[in-house]
Amino acid sequence: MKPSEHRELADALRARVTEAKGKTDSTLRTAAMNRAALAEPFGALVAQIDEAAARVTDDQVAAVREALGSDKAAFEIVMAAAIGAGLRRFDRAMRAIEESGDATE
Amino acid sequence: MRLNEVERGDTLRARALIGAISLASGMRLPDAARVAFYHKDFVSAALGAWTQKTMRGESAWSVGQRELMAALVAKWNACAFCIGAHRAVAVEGLSRETVDAVLADFETAAIDEGFRATLRFLHVMTTRPNDLGGEDARRVLSSGVSRAALADAVAVGTLFAIVTRYADALKFTIPSEAEFAKAARMLLERGYQ
Repeated sequence: MKPSEHRELADALRARVTEAKGKTDSTLRTAAMNRAALAEPFGALVAQIDEAAARVTDDQVAAVREALGSDKAAFEIVMAAAIGAGLRRFDRAMRAIEESGDATE
Repeated sequence: MRLNEVERGDTLRARALIGAISLASGMRLPDAARVAFYHKDFVSAALGAWTQKTMRGESAWSVGQRELMAALVAKWNACAFCIGAHRAVAVEGLSRETVDAVLADFETAAIDEGFRATLRFLHVMTTRPNDLGGEDARRVLSSGVSRAALADAVAVGTLFAIVTRYADALKFTIPSEAEFAKAARMLLERGYQ
């Protein structure tokens, strides 16, 4: 695929996190995706997913589930945090390709 | 699975699909598929479309090589579910010896230098993304890998940075090796959408 096609698909995914009609407030989801400052219990779960998701605990997920009141809302925060970690890597890697000086598609 | 509704399905259609596929395949439907069926109004379509094009679309990398990249990203992220799932798909396209040698140490495995250079790039991207720069990309491109092929690998690295994180955050149930093999054949037949 052309790098530009991957960029379009990445942007579409980013837009879904922010613009989808979800159960959570778009501001909260977007902050989870961008790892912006978040109140607890959201901050701890988002940081853990970003840094070492294999060490996420039952209590961290349960606390977010409890604060938001539904599985669907907690799911949105988990997905937003995971997608943010991936897209930060995507942006960095695509910038590295641009900085390589290779101008071909 | 830490969220019950993801495990059992949130709509009649999802519950019916989970039941029917589990029955037909003779195994518990893996949690990765349950996530794909869940909360369809949110990100699943966008994630599925990008994953399908990246893992099965046109690319200089074979399906087996892309699946092996996914398994390696899973290893670097310590995601047991994704290592098992994508190793099982990789061995359908590459030899078991090659797959296991790459997973053990891609620096010494018998693979071509372009693939090795790309795996080095993915390793930095996965474990130390802030260190990634133009010099890392230049090294891959000078090994004969095209810019498009490197971007394809970056997409694999991105998608499995995402998948491994939600698999572990939600605590996916780990299938047996025989179930992983069966699920791998389903994934090759049906794809990611």
